[in-house]
Amino acid sequence: MAEADLVLYLEASVRLGVPLALAALGESITERSGVINIGVEGSIIAGALGGALGALAFAGAGPGVAVGAAAGLLVALVFAAFAIGLGTDQIITGTAVTLGGIGLTGAVYQARFGTTGTALGLPTLSSLPVPGLSSLPVAGPALFDQAPTAYFAYVAAPLLWLFLFRTRWGLELRAVGEAPDAAMASGVRVRRVRILATLFGGTMAGVAGAHLALAHAGTFAENMSAGRGFVAIAVVVLGRWNPLLVLVAALLFGAASALQFLMQALGLDVPYQLFLAFPYLLTLAALAGWVGRARAPAALALPWPAERAP
Amino acid sequence: MRDGPGDRAPLGGRPRAPRARRIAPLLTAAGAVTLTALAASLALAVGGHDPGRVASALIGGAFGSPEILLSVTLVRSVPLILTGLAVVLAFRAGVWNIGAEGQVDAGAIAGTTVGLHAGGLPPLLLVPAVLVAAALGGLGWALVPALMRLRLGVGEVITTILMNFVALNLAAYMVRGPLQEGRGVFPQTDAIADAARLGVMVPGTRLHWGFAIAVILAVGVSVLLHRTRTGFRIRAVGTAPLAAAISGRIDADGVAFRTFLASGALAGVAGGVEVAGVTFALYEGLSPGWGYTAIAVALLAGLSPLGVLATGILFGALEGGAGAMQRVASVPAAWVGVVQALVILAVLALDRVRRHGLGALTVPSAVVVAPAQGDGSVG
Amino acid sequence: MNAGGPRVRMSAIVRRFGSVTALDGASLELLPGEVHGVLGENGAGKTTLLNVLGGMLPADAGTVEIDGMPVRLATPRDAWRHGIGMVHQHFKLVSPLTVLENLALGYRVRGHGMRLPLEAVRRRVSALQERTGLRVELRRTVAELGVGARQRVEILKALLREPEVLVLDEPTAVLAPAETRALFELLRSLAAGGRAVALVAHKLDEVLAVADRVTVLRSGRTVHTARREETDADALVRAMVGDAAATSRAASGAAVGSARLAQLRPPMPGRVPDPSAPTATGSPPPADVVAALEGVSVRRRSGGRGDASSGLLAGESPPALQDVSLDVRRGEVVGIAGVEGNGQRELALVLAGRLAPDEGRARVPARTGFIPQDRTTEGLALDLDLTDNVALAFHDAPSSRGAGGWVGWMPWATLRVATADLIARYDVRATGPGDRARALSGGNQQKLVVGRELRVSGDLLVAENPTRGLDVGATRFVHEELRRFVGRRDGPAPGVVLISSDLDEVLALSTWLFVMAGGRLIEAPDERRSREGVGALMLGAAP
Repeated sequence: MAEADLVLYLEASVRLGVPLALAALGESITERSGVINIGVEGSIIAGALGGALGALAFAGAGPGVAVGAAAGLLVALVFAAFAIGLGTDQIITGTAVTLGGIGLTGAVYQARFGTTGTALGLPTLSSLPVPGLSSLPVAGPALFDQAPTAYFAYVAAPLLWLFLFRTRWGLELRAVGEAPDAAMASGVRVRRVRILATLFGGTMAGVAGAHLALAHAGTFAENMSAGRGFVAIAVVVLGRWNPLLVLVAALLFGAASALQFLMQALGLDVPYQLFLAFPYLLTLAALAGWVGRARAPAALALPWPAERAP
Repeated sequence: MRDGPGDRAPLGGRPRAPRARRIAPLLTAAGAVTLTALAASLALAVGGHDPGRVASALIGGAFGSPEILLSVTLVRSVPLILTGLAVVLAFRAGVWNIGAEGQVDAGAIAGTTVGLHAGGLPPLLLVPAVLVAAALGGLGWALVPALMRLRLGVGEVITTILMNFVALNLAAYMVRGPLQEGRGVFPQTDAIADAARLGVMVPGTRLHWGFAIAVILAVGVSVLLHRTRTGFRIRAVGTAPLAAAISGRIDADGVAFRTFLASGALAGVAGGVEVAGVTFALYEGLSPGWGYTAIAVALLAGLSPLGVLATGILFGALEGGAGAMQRVASVPAAWVGVVQALVILAVLALDRVRRHGLGALTVPSAVVVAPAQGDGSVG
Repeated sequence: MNAGGPRVRMSAIVRRFGSVTALDGASLELLPGEVHGVLGENGAGKTTLLNVLGGMLPADAGTVEIDGMPVRLATPRDAWRHGIGMVHQHFKLVSPLTVLENLALGYRVRGHGMRLPLEAVRRRVSALQERTGLRVELRRTVAELGVGARQRVEILKALLREPEVLVLDEPTAVLAPAETRALFELLRSLAAGGRAVALVAHKLDEVLAVADRVTVLRSGRTVHTARREETDADALVRAMVGDAAATSRAASGAAVGSARLAQLRPPMPGRVPDPSAPTATGSPPPADVVAALEGVSVRRRSGGRGDASSGLLAGESPPALQDVSLDVRRGEVVGIAGVEGNGQRELALVLAGRLAPDEGRARVPARTGFIPQDRTTEGLALDLDLTDNVALAFHDAPSSRGAGGWVGWMPWATLRVATADLIARYDVRATGPGDRARALSGGNQQKLVVGRELRVSGDLLVAENPTRGLDVGATRFVHEELRRFVGRRDGPAPGVVLISSDLDEVLALSTWLFVMAGGRLIEAPDERRSREGVGALMLGAAP
């Protein structure tokens, strides 16, 4: 296979993996604090619409990303208000937030742009080649000739790792996710930590959505998140809640999803729907093969404080 | 959600729970509907629409005339009742089956296949065959996540959601490939055999016998849960899995697994009934999100199978009115998804506040369990 | 003891939990340089009072003064700022983190900003370990530590902040006698250094051994305060229990109810209806042996399944069962003492037929009653009503109508009557069988569990810490019922296995005495049947 094909494949892998990485990195922090936010899918789609609207309103992709991030944060805020503030069941609340997010973005999009379905012309996030690094053979153009949001993901992973394992706040966050009662007795404000972690996750997911709209597709379409939020949650499990591994897992996922391009290049005749279904099947297989060895934060998905006796 | 409502005993034999406990879920449901209506009106007003006009369009589209009531609202309520039952059954066992959507698709595929290819049989055999095939399709679709939960300890929320996406694509493939209509033009199947169709229940309307099936199944699930040993085990495993397992007499994992499959079967039947009663063929996007709406249907009903009859009809009305809402008041139909989300959140919040008082809103203290009591008075 | 004002004065503290008043105007004074014992039955409010002092719980009313100045203790940090350090009964440690990380959690070191001040903490902890003799390996994770070591970490964590007041909540519950002595020496030396030390316990002799002064709480109020020289055990017991005899009287059962219940009695052993029962191989054991374990070993399990965790053995790493052999005979109580976490849970589950051993053979009756130690999550379904909870034990027995098995009908009418009968017979304070289990107090919940399991037991009852958290009256009641059960004359006498970390309970009730240590079962010969003797055995293999 020609080198050019390989480069194209790798470049597509990274491009597909970046939104997963961004959302998964955010969700890994959220889950480390003991909160599982199924609503991350809602944050992504909100980020996509926010990114599109922001880019149009401010005539630039950069502001679009900022608006997208804010939109993702708002969705996470709703989730946090119910699941952490009121202590409602995290799983159902997250599902509701995702449903609401998809519905709301669809409604707003239809109201603003009608139901014709023509692609919007959005100012896009063009790739920024990194001087020097992008000239490396094969890996160079694949990894270092991407949209700026990709570089943000590369940098965020080690930074989050340092945060988790080398700072005071990271220790407190991990304690909250493993043993919130112990953390509270040690003076940590459990709810506050969880809310902040959830909002951070929502913001990252918003950026992921903005990347989808502005760097990946160049437009907004209803439901374009297509379950990436759920795949991101699986990526967090596969990456064992460790930011560095999560980044790697997300990029590997992108590589698997990009196989469709490789197959097309090789001229293989496979039904189109199989390509579409492939990432989900892959996620299922990965969960089946991996999960026995990973250990989730002990307090994950459990409401805190626990149920009171009367 | 670990606890269900105060037990209702439709056929007697059980002590009825104290009145306060029976009324509570109804109050919660009424409160949730009210809150949602208020929130939706507010959102509509902000968006420049007239809430009153929207409401009347909605109500007109759902209840405007007996004909509409029967042919639109009740017809649309059938899949919602069936998927709602699927969700209720699963949730009661502590299984978070978010995959009813995919199980509906799988059931529809299976039912359509039988309806297309077993044409020689008489209706008395063919209709049940279609429905059984649909049930098996839904059950089979739930099998993968259920096995992953049982054998590997993988959480069912993500796996069932992923299976939804796979089912979507499978259906799309089927109607473009193996099951596609003879002409090969549109992504849909041929119409199923006449003998495979559910007849009309009320002449002059489109209300088909699937409605009766839904009602019968609702009663059946209720009896199962409250009057049989199996139902007791399901409820015990759902509310107190540790106590159920430790009692030594309940195979908690096994009960959850089998209930998961039964839930999938119910959702599959929803798909089969829709094909056999309404569309008579399979095409892409058969389900406009019934599997997810079912969660709202189930929660609003307080996880009661009989309550699902009421809430299923309510959401059927919502769906029926949504089309009118879009036509008359130019409000995008996607708002229905927002309403469903609001209903779920309202039910969750009210349920929480009801059980813990408004103290739920304040900062908690560190020690969360009341100290051990001696022979104190009943709290 | 120094002259001068009290270091801590708590006055008229009130604290409610919903409709339950845990503290009803309690007070406490702690003087510098003294060890102060806080006594009371379970449920008297001792832990709640200490939690208020430690900033874990805000008081609803009342004042707390430190060195004469009123202070507000809304969070644990407030308590530290005022020099109060707390050692909790249920350790507040994060298992997957190392000891050092646990000690560093929430501990701010000047000048370190955001970074984790592990080195600084390590230095301070080493100095502390020198001074107090509390040795723990800093690099190990808490999960790897045994209970005694974890308590040392708890104490170090409290001492790290250099408190003027040290408060310990039931520290001796998890210690062997020799460890208790070492702890008391430490407390005395801390007090001698000028600190005020307060110690909660419900064992009189322990408190009398170490305290300078004692305060007694009853029903949320302070009823007695005295110097140790000025009081004695009898006076203290009277203060703790009140003058009226606190024994609850069991009402006689309704004859009709008993007859109905007989229909639900399980068939004789030999049938194996439940899926988790181990299959017996080889020749049956002698007739008077109701349960026999030979060379049984159980590996550790990891918990958690699906999105709704249901792990029976999930939690802090209990050691496996190693090569356990045991015979339980009719009419006898086999008592198994030991500090928690040495394999008792696995042993209980195997004996009760809930768990099949990984190695060896377990011959147990098909139907065994099991009183689990955690009534709220394992004994009862709190959100179901009492009839449902009784049904947990009886739902697969042949019913009064129709076949059993898969689609069998639940015999609700019979179960309802049986529940009412149990409520009357075991003096469970409830409005009726329709009450939600959550509404009952802890003592009444336990009485229902005990009653239910006694009813369902054929030849064997396994009881795991059955009187944990119960007051004197309820405890006496349970012991009486156990004795009555094992001495039953109508039919063949059953056997009882009593597993308890309460040494006195085990010593009082057992016919045969064993000790669990490190997953092994050690028989206690007659000459060792005392607290000291058993205590020595307990420590033999302790980590």
